[in-house]
Amino acid sequence: MDEPTTETLTKRIFEILRDEILNVDAGFSPQSNLVDAGLDSLAVTQLMLSIEESTGVWVDEGLLTPENLATAETLAALVYEQLTGT
Amino acid sequence: MTIRLTDSRPARLPLTGADCFLRAFDAEIGRWNGASHVSGLVLRLGPGFDVEIFRKLLDDVAREQPILGAPIRRRFGLGLPEYRLDPGRDGPPPVSVHDVDAPRAAGAPLPAIFSRRLNERRSLRRGELIRFDVVRYAGGAGGTELAMTWMHLLLDGAGSERFVQWLDEVHRGAVGASDLPDPDELRGDAPSSRSLAERGDAARRWKAWVDGFAEPPLRSLAGPRRRVPQDLRFDVLHLNRDETERAVAQAGRRAGFLTPMLFYLAAAIRAHHAVFEARGVDPGAYLVPLPVNLRPRGREGAIFRTHVSLIWFHVDPAVVGDFDALIDELKAQRRAAIKAGHVENGVAAMEFVRSAPARLYARMARSGTKGELCSFFFAYTGEFLPGIERFLGAEIHDGFHVAPVPPSPGSCMAMSIHRGRLNLTHVFQRSVVADDERRRMRDSLRRDLLSEAGR
Repeated sequence: MDEPTTETLTKRIFEILRDEILNVDAGFSPQSNLVDAGLDSLAVTQLMLSIEESTGVWVDEGLLTPENLATAETLAALVYEQLTGT
Repeated sequence: MTIRLTDSRPARLPLTGADCFLRAFDAEIGRWNGASHVSGLVLRLGPGFDVEIFRKLLDDVAREQPILGAPIRRRFGLGLPEYRLDPGRDGPPPVSVHDVDAPRAAGAPLPAIFSRRLNERRSLRRGELIRFDVVRYAGGAGGTELAMTWMHLLLDGAGSERFVQWLDEVHRGAVGASDLPDPDELRGDAPSSRSLAERGDAARRWKAWVDGFAEPPLRSLAGPRRRVPQDLRFDVLHLNRDETERAVAQAGRRAGFLTPMLFYLAAAIRAHHAVFEARGVDPGAYLVPLPVNLRPRGREGAIFRTHVSLIWFHVDPAVVGDFDALIDELKAQRRAAIKAGHVENGVAAMEFVRSAPARLYARMARSGTKGELCSFFFAYTGEFLPGIERFLGAEIHDGFHVAPVPPSPGSCMAMSIHRGRLNLTHVFQRSVVADDERRRMRDSLRRDLLSEAGR
């Protein structure tokens, strides 16, 4: 994945969730609440493993707060922080 | 003519792989310890629970859901084990009422009948799958304690809570007794999307993973299994709301908001370690299975049969002294297990040995680990009956799981949170853990759960 931005990360995370992790309908969006959409303990680890495969960054479970896991967008912001150290 | 859902259900329902594995547990416990693999759930209710209304409800439900009393047998004595679903053949589950003249005293121990139920021998072949005990205080005006005990393969932890919730929904008329939350759950299993060869490979990978736990050899508090009568007891550690809030905050901060079970598991390992240290005995390694809920996402409502896999943790005791290092080790092992596909591999392995699950059980208990199954059992089930405040009109003051364990390893810790209070049920084989050792375990748990140290 070349020079990710929060936008490209959001898109990638959204696609992983929609296509591989969650069983969601057409209304699912980058702003949808992830826990309401079915993100659970197993799914979140599968998601973080997919993100690690895409970006090379593993996000420690302790950083996965309700705020960071609220939506694909908030999670992308956290991953971007971990990637860039900002 | 009214066509009920039961009319289109099959007369036979195969057990899942996990069910078969648990059936093997039951057979082994019967053979070695003269008891069954019985699980429990306890509700502490306020006034207003009417036993006769409950009996009528169970009568209605049992007529529509014959799985509640279905004999489990192999077809022609040889095939895969299956429920024989014969509507109307069996009566409702038994309900025993025990009256206590006085109101329930605050802090009083749980009724002894609840522990005794864990040690009964029940027959799967006769469909003795579930029963209820009602302890009525002052004729019910002083509150009621309700224990549901069942053969563990009928319901997993999540399924048992869904069953209680669904019973209440049927009572309130929100759903009919024939309407299960997941209408497909009693229609047999969907065919696997993986080929036989793929499933075989997955099962072999799981077996190789489990074989790797043989070194260093583990030692449970009970020691290797032996022929002793099963004599399980249990007690419950309750945290108040403030304490629970602190524990939950610590769990989220140190193990993750969606993976707090690793914090609780670490505390449980350290509680056992405290006893080993006091005994001056080397535990060898800690080997602990963690159940993983496998209900398909979006279909959380399945009640009957077990929908779980297992993630195993194999921990060097040298890590146990540092709480955060131990949590990190558990995180790393869980991540590696999920990455390697062992959650799915475990399902494949259990499906593969459906016709002979005792082989898998015996392999784990006899060959690799020299008579030990694991160090102890552990489960964290999160919110207990979330959003449910009353059962059949009576307020639920408290509720928790009583998860079973064979006499070896002889110790099981199950945690859940009810209305903001964490309950930790410790089920143990009597004589395996002495009173002062249980106090030591409780002290260790409280210290860890409420610790502010660490990250």
